[in-house]
Amino acid sequence: MAAVFVLFLPILANAGLNSGCYACHGEKKFPGGYVDETLYSRSVHGQFSCSTCHVNITAFPHGTPRRVNCMLCHLTGTGGAPRTPALQYELSVHGTAVREGLAAAPHCQTCHGSHDILPPGDPHSRIYRKNIPRLCSRCHKAQYERYKKSIHARALFEMGMERAAVCYDCHEEHRVPNVTSPKWMLWLIGKCGSCHKRELATYRQTYHGQVTRLGYTTVAKCPDCHGAHGILPPSDPGSTLSQKNRLHTCRKCHPGASGGFTTYYAHPDDRDRRRYPQLYYTWLAMTILIVAVFAFFVVHTFLWAYRTLRERLKRKGE
Amino acid sequence: MAEAAYVRRFNPYHRVLHIIMATSFLGSVITGMPLRYSDTPWAPWLMRALGGYEQAGYIHRICAAVTFGYFFSHLIFAAYYIAFVKKFRFRIFGPESMVPRLKDLKDVYGSFRWFLGLGPRPEFDRWTYWEKFDYWAVFWGVGVIGLSGLCLWFPAFFGRFLPGWAFNVAAIVHSDEALLAAGFIFMIHFFNTHMRPEKFPMDTVIFTGRVPIDEFRRERPLEYGRLVREGRLARLKTGPPPNWLLCLAVPYGALLVVTGLLLLVLILLGMLVY
Repeated sequence: MAAVFVLFLPILANAGLNSGCYACHGEKKFPGGYVDETLYSRSVHGQFSCSTCHVNITAFPHGTPRRVNCMLCHLTGTGGAPRTPALQYELSVHGTAVREGLAAAPHCQTCHGSHDILPPGDPHSRIYRKNIPRLCSRCHKAQYERYKKSIHARALFEMGMERAAVCYDCHEEHRVPNVTSPKWMLWLIGKCGSCHKRELATYRQTYHGQVTRLGYTTVAKCPDCHGAHGILPPSDPGSTLSQKNRLHTCRKCHPGASGGFTTYYAHPDDRDRRRYPQLYYTWLAMTILIVAVFAFFVVHTFLWAYRTLRERLKRKGE
Repeated sequence: MAEAAYVRRFNPYHRVLHIIMATSFLGSVITGMPLRYSDTPWAPWLMRALGGYEQAGYIHRICAAVTFGYFFSHLIFAAYYIAFVKKFRFRIFGPESMVPRLKDLKDVYGSFRWFLGLGPRPEFDRWTYWEKFDYWAVFWGVGVIGLSGLCLWFPAFFGRFLPGWAFNVAAIVHSDEALLAAGFIFMIHFFNTHMRPEKFPMDTVIFTGRVPIDEFRRERPLEYGRLVREGRLARLKTGPPPNWLLCLAVPYGALLVVTGLLLLVLILLGMLVY
């Protein structure tokens, strides 16, 4: 109990003190920075005093505040602040870039905002699902331009499919691993498959899917054929897998690819008689052959072993 | 009489060919099965042990080249044997031929009767029906796995005149036929020739070429009688295999059999996990 009290001490001690801050910062034209009191009080941190985050502001008048360090609470879990995102961020390309001094690299505030942080489920939140592409586009403009035209964007914004992929589904929110990391490339296959279940299952039946499952990345993975940000259904002429572009896509890995490549099923299902009759009957014939051969010879072998052992026992008995 | 206690059954060419075949077959299975069973815990481990999928692929294709090599070598040898050694007097449906005949069907029937205690054991000649099955299974297997494997090896070439689904079919056939071949060799062939109580743990005749004359008379009475009648037995009589040959044959044979049985365990695990 005492510990909890101590944790919340700054908040309690400064309760009511915010009104003092708003005396200046509540003025829209205040050159030191305007804070909308209503917005702030509605934000997830709205119950905290200003100095909870602005830790170097202890008296009035005050000098230039330091950049707020969210990690003070979020890396330590102070007051129940979620730690996992902070830890993940520190290891991400974003967190690494900040530590390495890249000026454009995003801090927490870059994505989450500061005085107006709303929970991710709130449509007004910067990190609301549908707002994510715009948010990331502030730095990743080229990727956004391609994403905007993709089937994922169309599904999300035009067809009302709430689960359609946005940036952080594939790039893992706070984790944001390096896109050249083999671990991430292999993880991503499963991620695509978490929505495209059938496609993943059938991909695993091919050489591509087997080699990647064994942990190697140098064969075709989802984005190698389908593209990444600008992904389109193969029926779309602009798709990397449209009849026009298909062979070109195969040739990225198979330089000599010939016409037959364009009609190869990269997602075959040999149990689907209606869609893939050739594969179904091949599978059926092979299965019958295997079962027949083994059924005959396993019976043959067991009976043979039985007879030989019996004869041996008989001979021993004599 | 110790010097004459053995009969020569296989010539050096066939013995060497069998070693090459067995080795390349195991090489193909070891490097191929981790793909078929890539969802098992042992598959990534085995693939790493083989030096990664690319290196395993090279080993796989070297074994494939060796397979085509012994396959055509055998065809050439068979043609040479029929034309020059036998001067076209080789009886294709005779007792020395691998070609199945009516007697083989009768032997299958007779064997089942014997298994069930309903009759005597059939008398065999030079090749039993299960040996003929082994032989033709290799023909069929090399044909099917070889052709489908070539499609998958040279897709750019075959894709010029084959539709894409042919490669899907090739992949299914290649993998399923490989399972059939591996399962058959490691379970049925191993039992029939090595593991059954009379032979356990290993029949070295395929490595040494020599079989003890008593065993030969007991196992292949028809061939024995024929050889005696035709006066050919004396020429085939030989001494026991030299020690150096046994010292090579037994460990290598054991290595092949043990590796095969381990692979069989992995395959069965894969089928249960799958």
